[in-house]
Amino acid sequence: MPANPVKGVLIEELANSERMLKGYRQALAALPKGSLVAKKIKGGIYYYEAYRVGGKVRFEYKGKLSEQQVAKLEEAAGQKVKYRGLIAELKEQIVFIRRALHERKRRAR
Amino acid sequence: MSEKDAPVELCLEVLRRLEKAGVLRGLVLIGSWCAYFYPDYFGGKTKLSALRTRDIDFLIPTPSKIKGELRVAELLADLGFISDRRGEGYVRLSHPELIIDFLVAERGRGTDKPYPVKALGIKAQPLRFVSFLSDDTVEVRSRGLILILPHPVNFGLQKLIVSGRRADRDKGAKDRLQAIEVLRAVIERGEGEEIRRKYRKLPAGWRKGILAGVRLADADDLKALLA
Repeated sequence: MPANPVKGVLIEELANSERMLKGYRQALAALPKGSLVAKKIKGGIYYYEAYRVGGKVRFEYKGKLSEQQVAKLEEAAGQKVKYRGLIAELKEQIVFIRRALHERKRRAR
Repeated sequence: MSEKDAPVELCLEVLRRLEKAGVLRGLVLIGSWCAYFYPDYFGGKTKLSALRTRDIDFLIPTPSKIKGELRVAELLADLGFISDRRGEGYVRLSHPELIIDFLVAERGRGTDKPYPVKALGIKAQPLRFVSFLSDDTVEVRSRGLILILPHPVNFGLQKLIVSGRRADRDKGAKDRLQAIEVLRAVIERGEGEEIRRKYRKLPAGWRKGILAGVRLADADDLKALLA
């Protein structure tokens, strides 16, 4: 069978997408698990990390945080949203490439 | 090709950021993305195949002329790039639409040890045959950027050399396809003699690899030119 440059690209990109998916899942797991919630108590602002455990939302006390700490946690929250979107994109890519490669095999039979 | 193409948009944003950080002029853009920018070098009329992988490869000529202490991974983190540390220790920056690799030329008998580039905060991957790509470069003005690319003749001949060394036949076929297209664009520009001149200066083993690639691609016009 003659060499096929399109198939070569698809196989390489499938491996890339699978490896990347693993990387994004690891990066996501390394970020703080919940979202930051500020509560005003007796004039002071106190922070909690809110996250789900089963069907319930749990609040983990973080205390008073500096502006820098808040900015960092908010940035991490933004990254989480971005990573989730990119993970969804990668999953779609993997399905698409696998289908394309499978389709080629089927037609070759 | 549509500028709304997401990988192209992301690629241009990466290039803009590298330029703003003052490091783009110290990098040679190599690999299949060159085919996207070469039409600007050839005068915009040439059409080259859009078939490419997501990898965008930057060759860092050594010793590097890049100054400063940039952290490229941080520069691109908000775009969604993550650092992917490979087993050998070098790092690539990955995104579902683009994968950035930093490469250096492997010298002498070679080593696969990653090459630290402090000015970019990365470890680059040494690769064989890429020094030929930075031996002769061209400046390409494209989308408001000034890019350094290998001279198209060097690009085409190098692709033909590596095409025959690929374990994967299909990847080799893609290399040949791109090489032949770019070399034919050089001939159309009336610079075929440059291909012959550079080819004749190469070591015998490289020339053999190029001829084998030309034969496999059934490119009789190039075969005749190199004879």
